[in-house]
Order: sequence, then structure tokens, then C-alpha cells
Amino acid sequence: MQALANNLNNTAITDHLVSRCKKGDVHAFRELYNAYSAAMYNICLRMTGNQVDAEDTLQEAFMQIFRNIERLENAGSVTAWIKRIVVNHCLSHLRRKKVYFEEVDNIDVEEETIVDEDNFAWTVAAIKEAIQVLPHGYRTVLNLYIFEEYSHKEIAAMLDISESTVKTQYMRAKDKVRQIIKQKKVIR
Amino acid sequence: MSESSFEDFVRQHRQSFEETGPSSRVWAQLEQQIAPRRKSKVIQLMGRHWLKAAAVLVLVVNSVMIWQFIQLKKAQHLTNVSPEMQEAKMYYTSQIEQRLETIKTYPDAVLGLDSSARKELELRNETYQVLEAELIQNPGNERIKAAMVRYYQLKLDLLDKILEELREKQPVSKKQSDYEREI
Repeated sequence: MQALANNLNNTAITDHLVSRCKKGDVHAFRELYNAYSAAMYNICLRMTGNQVDAEDTLQEAFMQIFRNIERLENAGSVTAWIKRIVVNHCLSHLRRKKVYFEEVDNIDVEEETIVDEDNFAWTVAAIKEAIQVLPHGYRTVLNLYIFEEYSHKEIAAMLDISESTVKTQYMRAKDKVRQIIKQKKVIR
Repeated sequence: MSESSFEDFVRQHRQSFEETGPSSRVWAQLEQQIAPRRKSKVIQLMGRHWLKAAAVLVLVVNSVMIWQFIQLKKAQHLTNVSPEMQEAKMYYTSQIEQRLETIKTYPDAVLGLDSSARKELELRNETYQVLEAELIQNPGNERIKAAMVRYYQLKLDLLDKILEELREKQPVSKKQSDYEREI
């Protein structure tokens, strides 16, 4: 949440803006959208994996936000509230695409090996590329944990799986990212 | 991989992972969807204050219903309830009132009727009022209509008999004969 908060630091999301939205003020909706759309779009893009699905999901989520903003009791929690709606829409989208978040099974991934990676050359582009090719289930857990900064417990509740499964899948996803980056380097 | 190196790297470069925002298509479509909300502001307000609106509506409907009920009661005059009875009433009323006027011209001593008997002779006595109320309550009831006609006829017969006796008792004055000629 910290990263998102940083993104929105310069945005004046005031009680007044929320109360204007509650009155159905279209200009206020536009202001709210402008303040959050980029950050929320990035969540959608990471979760869905492509621009078209990300934009469709973002649109659906914002429509729900506009319709339900009257129910938001505490304007101070608007960021977390909006983010949760967007994430829920992303998860619904994945479920519609038959992505299942199952308990740990025999997924063909090597167990994490503790090695000295101090000199491992992480790059933003390499990580983004590797995450893109992760299986949906791994990618979802990894995104929710590392980028959206939900706890293992919160992710477990969202995906309706056990906390230990979330931890295991996160470790495996991370390991898979490392493997992919290593393999690409070898190929190159 | 060290436990923290991946997480640390991502956190340190968090901003670099962000892409630019969505295309303008998203807002354009959202704007289209929220536009009707703007037009139907009344409906929106109704939605927000539905309980108050419902309470006001119930009060208004109740008031209208009470007003209509009062109007209906007022309108339940015999004219509206039974037009043919209204005609009979007009005919018999005029006949009865002519005879009553004639009777009133005789002195009390000649008439020989006490106050209660004279009251009973009046057109709108207790029996009449009961019958009229019954007819308003049951406008289609033929028995009540027949009873009312019978009431008028009996009253007319009674008044004719009284007048006949009075004529025998006392000679007819000019004034009296005028009335009787009308009868």
C-alpha cells in the first residue's frame, strides 16, 4: 500500500471530493478517476497480463466505484477501498478465464535453493518480462504480495486458499522468476 | 537467491515498474455510462431518500383516499343513489305538502291533534329518515324502494282521510277551497 500511497501523494483526495462524488457530480467522478486511474490500471495490467483486459477490468471496477461510493463511510479509506474493488474485479476476471487458485500441488517447479544471489543482476525489464510468462496462479500471488503489498493472510482470504499455500506459491513464483531470468541470459 | 534481494530490488525500483495510465477509451466509456445518472438526478435523489419519499407518498395517498371517501359520502344523496326514487319523492312530496298546508289552515281546536300526532304527520318523520338512510346504504334494494313508495302512499291516504273529516266538521273557507281545488 505504501507504493500506491506514494503514487497518490500529490493527489488531493479530500472529503469534499468524495462527498461531491456521493452527490453524483460527474466532474468529481472525473477528478477521482484522474487521481487513481494510472495506479489502478497498473494493478489491472499486472493481474490480467494484457492491455485490453486491463482496460476492460478497470472500466468495470470504476463503474462499481462510482455506483457504490455512497456506501463509503470513511473518506480517509478511499484509496484502500478503491484498490480492493479493482483487485476483486481482476480476480473475477481471472476466475472467468478459468484460473484456479488451488492448494499446493505437484507444480513442476524446482524447490527454492538458497544460493548467494548478491551479485544476481536484477533488472526491472527482466523481472517484468519473467512475471509475464509465469502461470496465472503464481503471477497473481506474486503480484498481490510484492506489488500490491497485501499480506499472505489477506491474499489467502481473497483467493480462498490457505496461508501456507500462499507462502509456498509465492516462494515458487519468485524462484521461477529467477530461473526464467537465468535461462534468458543463457540463451542470449 | 537471498531472501530479501528480490523484494528489496522491487521496492527500491517500485516506480520503474509502473506503466503509463490507461487509454482515453476507458474514461470515454465510463462517461457514457454515468451520463444518465446526471440526467436522472430526481431519480437519484429519490434513491438516496427512498424511505422519506415512501413516507411522504403514503401520507399523500392516505390524504387523497380520505378526501375521496368524504366526497363519496357527500355524493351519496338520494339523487345519485336512485334517480327513479328521486322522481317519486318529488311527486309525493309535493302532494303531501299541499295537504299538510291545507290541514295547517284549520284551527288546532278543529284539528284535534296533539303535538306528537302533528309531528308524525310531517313528511320527514322518523320512519322516512330510516328508509332514506337504508336506501342510500343499499341503492339497488327493491324492497326498500317499494317500502318508501308505500310510505308515501300511506301518508297521502292518511292526510286525505284527515282532510275529509275536517271538511265534514267545518265548512270550507275560500282560502281552504283554493288549496283543495289544487288537490
